[in-house]
Order: sequence, then C-alpha cells, then structure tokens
Amino acid sequence: MTAIVAPADTTRRRPAFSLARWLERPGVFSWMMVGPPIIFLGMLVGYPFFYGIWLSLLNRPVAAEGKFIGLDNYIADWHDPAFWQVVINTFVYTIVATILKMVFGLGLALVMNQDFRFKNLTRALLLLPFIVPTVLSTIAWQWILDPAFSVINWTLVTLHLIAPPGPSWLGNPDLAMGSLIIVNVWRGLPFYAITLLAGLQTISPDLYEAATIDGAGTWTKFRYITLPLMKPVIFIVTMFSVIFTFADFQLIYVLTRGGPANSTQVFATYAFDVAMNGGQFGQGAAIALTMVPALALMIAAMAIYLRPSKS
Amino acid sequence: MAGVSRQSRRDLLKVGALGAAASLAGPSIVRAAPKAMTMMHESSFIPPYDAFFKNKLAVAYEKATGIKINYEVVSVGSLLTRVTTTAENGSGPDMSTVGFNWAYLFDEKLIDVSDIAAEIGKEGGGWYDNAQEAVVVNGKWKAIPYANIGQLMNWRTDWFKEAGYEKFPDTWDELLEAGIKLKKNGHPFGFELGHGFGDNHGWLYPLLWSYGGREVEADGKTIVIDSDETARAIDYCRRLYKETMVEDCLGWTDVSNNKAFLSEQISCTNNAESILWLAKKDFPEMAKVIDQSQNPTGPKGRFHFLNVQAHAIFSHTPDKQAAKDFLRWLMKPENLGPWYDVAVTYYQPFLHKYDDAPMWNVDKRNIPYRDAVASAHLPGWPAPLSRAQVEVIAKFVVIDMFAQACAGKSTKDAIAEAKQKLTAIYKA
Amino acid sequence: MTVENRGWHVRFLKLWLPLGVSLIFALFPFYWMAITSLKTNQELYSRKLTPLYVHNPTLKHYIDLFTETSFLEWTWNTFVVAVISTAISLIFGAMLAYPLARIRFAGAALVSFAIAATYLVPQPLLFVPLADLINKLNLNDTLTSVILTYPTLLIPFCAWLLMGYFRTVPQELEDAARIDGASRLQTLIKVVLPLCGPGFISAGIFAFTLAQNEFLYALIFLTKTEVRTVPVGAIAELVKGDVFYWGQLMAAALLGSVPVAIIYSFFVEHYVAGLTAGSVKG
Repeated sequence: MTAIVAPADTTRRRPAFSLARWLERPGVFSWMMVGPPIIFLGMLVGYPFFYGIWLSLLNRPVAAEGKFIGLDNYIADWHDPAFWQVVINTFVYTIVATILKMVFGLGLALVMNQDFRFKNLTRALLLLPFIVPTVLSTIAWQWILDPAFSVINWTLVTLHLIAPPGPSWLGNPDLAMGSLIIVNVWRGLPFYAITLLAGLQTISPDLYEAATIDGAGTWTKFRYITLPLMKPVIFIVTMFSVIFTFADFQLIYVLTRGGPANSTQVFATYAFDVAMNGGQFGQGAAIALTMVPALALMIAAMAIYLRPSKS
Repeated sequence: MAGVSRQSRRDLLKVGALGAAASLAGPSIVRAAPKAMTMMHESSFIPPYDAFFKNKLAVAYEKATGIKINYEVVSVGSLLTRVTTTAENGSGPDMSTVGFNWAYLFDEKLIDVSDIAAEIGKEGGGWYDNAQEAVVVNGKWKAIPYANIGQLMNWRTDWFKEAGYEKFPDTWDELLEAGIKLKKNGHPFGFELGHGFGDNHGWLYPLLWSYGGREVEADGKTIVIDSDETARAIDYCRRLYKETMVEDCLGWTDVSNNKAFLSEQISCTNNAESILWLAKKDFPEMAKVIDQSQNPTGPKGRFHFLNVQAHAIFSHTPDKQAAKDFLRWLMKPENLGPWYDVAVTYYQPFLHKYDDAPMWNVDKRNIPYRDAVASAHLPGWPAPLSRAQVEVIAKFVVIDMFAQACAGKSTKDAIAEAKQKLTAIYKA
Repeated sequence: MTVENRGWHVRFLKLWLPLGVSLIFALFPFYWMAITSLKTNQELYSRKLTPLYVHNPTLKHYIDLFTETSFLEWTWNTFVVAVISTAISLIFGAMLAYPLARIRFAGAALVSFAIAATYLVPQPLLFVPLADLINKLNLNDTLTSVILTYPTLLIPFCAWLLMGYFRTVPQELEDAARIDGASRLQTLIKVVLPLCGPGFISAGIFAFTLAQNEFLYALIFLTKTEVRTVPVGAIAELVKGDVFYWGQLMAAALLGSVPVAIIYSFFVEHYVAGLTAGSVKG
C-alpha cells in the first residue's frame, strides 16, 4: 500500500541524500512518470488548443493578418440560423447514435458471451467495420444508400411492397440524419460490443450461480448483477463514443457534406466549411469551440470518475 | 495527332531559344536558378492529362533549363486544404492550381503575375474577359487562368427523342415541359441540390441569374436577394425538382449525378464533360446517345458557371522569377496546345487563339462548352469577389435557399432565411 | 423431445438469431465492397442486372490498384506509422496511468483533468497550428510528422484503459515486491506489467486501428505519394474530379482491412479471455 510505504519513508531518520531514495518518493516518482507524456501532449495539443481559443477571438481570414474582435464571432454564430440547426443536428446525431450503440452493443456482448462454435472468428469478423478506413467504407455505403442500388429498396420493390425507386435515404431531409446514424452505429458498434464483452467476462460465474440458487430470474440477474458490475466499463465506452460521435467528420463529409439543405450539418463539418472553404479561421474556431461546453460536462464527469484511487 | 510531332519539334527549338535567353538574361537568373520546383494540381479526371505534364512537359523543361518540375497530385476535394496549409505556413509547393475564388482568398500569399499574363494574352489572341473575374484582385493578376471546366447540360438524345424532342429545350420553361414528359416515360432528370463542390452551383446560380435574381448588387454591398425575380427562380426550381427529378437529388454530392446518369437512372443533368468521357470509355453504346448543350435561357438571358482553373505562384517561393519563367513557358502555344489536346476540350481555354483549335473538331458535341465560356460567371456575380462572397458559398446560402424550397419550405421563408444569412455575413 | 425442442428454440432466439442479424449488418457492406471490387464498370452501373452478386467477375481493379498506384508502398507506410504511434501511445499511456491508478501525489487531479481535456481539442480545426509546428520542426512529408501527431489522439484512451487494468492487479503483489526491496520502477516492470497484457492488447487494438484510419493529419502532412498512408493515397489517386474509381477504392478498402482483421482474430481471444483471468478477483 502506498499509503503505508510513504509515511514509513518520511518518518525514518533522514540519511544522507540518495538519488535512488529520492526517486522512490511518491510525488517524485509520479511526476517522473507523467512528466514526459504531459510535456508531449502539452506541445502537440495544448499549444494548438490555446491557439484555437485565441483564433476564435480574431477576425482572421485565411492567408491574412488577424484583428482582435472580442466575442464577435460567437455573437455572429448566435444570430446565424444555420448554426442553431447545426447544434440540434449534432445533439440528435450524438444522442441517438450513442444510445443505439449502447443498447445494441450490450445486447451483442451478452449474445457473444455465450459459448458457441467459431467464437473467435465471429468476434474478429464483427470488428471489421471498426477496422476498415472510414473514408473507404463510407464510399461503399454511398452505393448501399442509393435508392437505385440499395438492397432495402431492391427487396421492397421486388416484393412489390413499394413503387420504385423507394425511399431516398440521403436525399430526404428527414431520412438523411437517420441514414448517417445507421452508418455511424455500424462503424462504432463492434468496438462497443467487444469492449463490453471483455467487461462481461470479468463477472464471476459464482455470482450468477448464487443468484440462481436464490431463485433470481434472468432479468433480475441482469439488473442486479450484470448492470452494476458493468457500470465502469459502460461508462468509459460511452464517454468515448460521445466524444468521437460529437466530433465526427469523415463519415458525414463523404456522404452528404451536411446536405440536404443543412439537415445533416454538424459542428465538425460546419466548422471545416467555414474555416476551409470560407477562409474564416476565426469564425471556424469559434464554431468548433462552442462544442466545448457540452463536451466539458462529460469530461468533468469523467475526471471525477477517474480521479486517483484512494487505496 | 500528326500535329504533335510537328509541334514537339517546334517545341525543342523554342526550348532551345528559351534556354539561350535565360543564360543571356544575366547571371542573376543563372546563379539563383533552383534545382527543382513543385507544381500542385488536382488529380485530373483525365489521367493522360496528368501523365502528359509529368512525362512530357516536366521532362522537356528539365532538359531545357536543368530545373526539375515536380508534379504533386491532390484529389479535387483536398486541394483547398492543401493550398490553405501551404499559404498559411509559407512552405510546400511553389506553384499550385487555384480554382473558384481562391486567387482572392489567398491574395496576400500569391505573387503578382500581371506582366506574364499580358504577354500570354497577347501571344494567345487575347483573354476572355470573364477570366479576370476570378484571378484579378485589386487590378493585379494573381494567377494565370489556363482553363475553364464548364458545367453544361448532359442529356440522353434517345429518351428526349422518344418524348418528342430532337433538340435540347432552349428555355427553362421548355425544359420543365420536357422533363415532365420524360419522367412520365420513366426517365426523370437529376440535378444536384446538395452540398457538393461544383455541380450544384453549376446550374443553380445560372438559373438564378437568368431569371434576373442576384444576391448582391454590383456595388458589393446592397443585398437584393429578396426580389420577385429570385422568387420566380425558386418557384421554377421547386417545380423542376418535384415534377421532373428523382427525390435523391437533394442529398447528392458531385459524384452522385455521374453515377445516376451512367446507371441510366436519369435522362438529364448538369455536369462537366466527365460523363460523356467516361461513357465513351466504358459504355460506348450509351455514349452514342449522349449530347451536351448550353444551359437553357430565362427571361434575363443565358448564363453559365465559371469554373476557372488557374496557376498561381506562392510568395514563399525562393526564386519567383524562375517560377514565372516556368508558367510563361508552360503557357506557350507549343506546350499548352498539346496539353489541351490530351484532354480533348475537358479543359476549355480562356485564350481566343484556341477558339478554333483542332481539338474542338474531335467531337462536335463538346462545342457548347466553348460557346458557354463567354457567358460564365462566378457565384456572387455581378458583385466583385469579396470575403463575404466566399463565405456565402462556403455556407451554401444560395444552394440551401433552393434546396429548402424543394424540400417544402415556402418561397417567402426560404428567401427570408437566405436574406438573414446574407445580411449577417455582409455586415461582419 | 419437447424439452430438447424448447432448448433449441431458446438457443436460436438467444444466440443464433441476434448473432446472425448482427453479422449480416456488420458484414453486408464488406460483401458489397467485395462484389464491387470484382465487377466490371459496365456491370457496376447496370440496373438491369441484379446487384447482389457478380455476373462477370474481373480482377482488373485489383491489378490496376497494384500497377497504377503505389498501394503496396502506402500499406507499408500505414503499417509503420500505426505500429510506432501505437507503441508511443502505449508507453506514454502506461506512464500516465500507473501513477494515477496507484499513487497519491500532488497534482494528480490536475493531470487526470489534463488528459481528459485533451479530447476537447477539435481536431478538424487545429490542424492549422499543428501544420505550422510540423513545418517548424521541418517534418513535412515525413512519416515522423504523423507518428508524432497520432499519439495525441490515442494517449488519453490508452491511459484510461490501462488505469483500469492497473487497478485490477492485487495490491498485495506489489507490496510484496516492494518489501523484497524492488524499486517502484522495478515493481511496475516486473510485477504489474506482465499481469496487464490483455490491457495492452485492447488498448493496442484501439490505437492501431485509429492510427491506420486517420485521414485529416495524413492528408495535410503527407503530400508525396511515396509517404502516403492507405486512406489518403486511395482518396487522392482514386477520386478523379467528380468520378470515383469505385472498383479500385473498394479493393483498397478490403485489402486494407481484412488482413488486419485476421491478425486481430488471434488477439481477440487474449483480449477477452485474458481479461477474465486477470480480474476474476475484482
């Protein structure tokens, strides 16, 4: 126990200074360990981050000098009807996709936690959507979501259930967001399921056996054993999913680029359009940084959860 | 092709002359001459076009001057990102293709090439006036426009004939009429209304203009989007979408209409020459029944979309003169001509000298692309280029105004929202 | 008979049905990629032929991919980049995770907050200052540029995941080692790390996958074809104007992911099963 070892170190009579012993002090050892990665992250993340904050306070066109304008960029966002659409879209996209991944991921993990043939092969195959480069898999989805080639439309039309061409998955503003969410779930589900599966396997079978003896049903066991024990894993994976989904870029940029009529425009794509295509770095930074408050809440939750252990 | 060998021979002579001139021009050039320069280009739709630069032009130039020209290819969608990082950091390629309004966007990081532009213009029979819309910033040429990639009507002659049309409809109203008939026959239209980079602007801005609508007056300040003309263009667009097109168009990007046309889903779209080109390669039967025509005319005339491709020199280039010399050399008829020829009119010259170039005779169906150059404008026309204008395009303000109306919003509300966005952008 | 029958039903409903549906959902796009990569362009665009299988298979797209592009070179680059940046992320991740998981020290809260905050940085925008930094370090067009920047996306997750694993190592084991005179570092390396193999495998899988898929930094930092990674190379050279070279793109997608999946299939067992062994106690 560190708590025991540490006081022992300090209460001892102070011997001649020893580097080895100094390095053993909890604070020194810890900082020697976390120092290099912190410096690394500070340089490659901290610097750009603060630079981004500074940018958002400037009127800074591409390839030109910037001018300090205070919060004008944020005020401009506030009055931009497209911006509010972006806010709503991003939340819908993140919340719906995350819930779907969570529910189906847990379900799939429970299914895979059973014993069956070709278990490893199945698990590896299910990871495929996560492995393939997103830009390329999204291009395949472009065909799958094209009404003229989509299997769904093809099946429905062949069965004479609907008239061709059938639903327009990306062209209908009401369906487009749903289609993107499905592609996002397709890509994110495997990692969810596999990580949750790993969590499931840490639960001792003894617990279930004991519960069975006490007469607990499947649901009771799930509710009172599985869920509580899985909470930490579910929490971490969900946080990650939220962060990645919230800032998703590639998938939307390839499939719709925010169309039709901005109905799938999210923070990352809008910021990119404004900063890159519009050449307005300051405003782009402001849009990107408005993601922060929403994310920060979740980060705060995470920081609390991940605070150093109190042995 | 007989012309090539003749030209390449001439080419050699010219190169020789240039090399001599360079060495005569004084020690400054010789001493400072860089070993290599890099030209960045979008990955051309026509692969031999890129190959010609790499294997012929760059090689010839290196032989003549000792300067190696690297040719760096980037996909169309990524070119702007690369140009931005290059200009921002002052490092990277020495020269690049710039399109659209980029000459304005990167103005301060590009060098003035007015002098060679004048020479090239004189040598090439004069520039098309509208080329300057895209490359002249504050009276200075910031890039040398080498081509327009026109956006025109691509249509199926067989299906139009079936519906009783031998020729492409001349007015937007006739187009609507034709489209209704064709859709009834199972051959709808498909025009991009989504967030692509070209095929949406390619017809929506010309449509707006030909009804007399515009975003901003020529003064670049007065917002005039809220007009009866705009309303009429929107009403027309909504009818065209609902009565002639496939529903999917609203979500399309630039690849979508090529795919739809080649898979015979649609009978007409607005696109560059890439559809016919690919059809000739992979679908020879279909290629026989494809034709290309200028955009229809409206109450206020006929318009097209200016899709300028121009070469610009970054100001971080160590030897600006060497880069200018190269562009000057590249634009000489004996080098530029054969380069255009490989791409057979996919790239339409902005120099009048090429108005009757032999490449136009290869396929007369391409001629409308030449005739459309003069009536082409940049989005935002007639206002001059401005930061605000660039932002309007990046935010798809005008595209989404049409798209919203097609998706069910009232004309009044669609215009009101566009006006609100324009006001905010122009005020900033 | 009835009991057996019922057992089969239950097993079908609880296992095979959901598993089958998930597999179809997960793998159908790959089936689509596979058939697209084997179709001629004529067939690909044809709406008259049933799109669900290949009528006239051709290897043309694969041959073109290998002969007309530098696909093998891109694959090698991707591999090098992914392996090294994964290694850096795991090492740095462990260095952050161990003290946070085991030791109380001043500033720990700050460190864990800093790690979390790393993810607040919106990547699509901040490539501009990063590009500037890379440029100042003179790393343009080198694989080092992405090897250095990818870990910024990977370290936080690795750290978080490893923290969980470090906590599962019984404290008594560490105490015993310390009493035997091992230093903290020795304890970490000789006692803790060997018990956390599965943690490194799962963090590694995650990091490796993200590294090989990353697009934006690779697009900006790697412009020469010989230093490109698969996603950027494929998009740059197989998207021409407004035309996609569908067959070759899909061939690249398959060749870029299926081998990795096969390698993973060996690890997945360790990843999942090993985890069980390591933390039954917890």
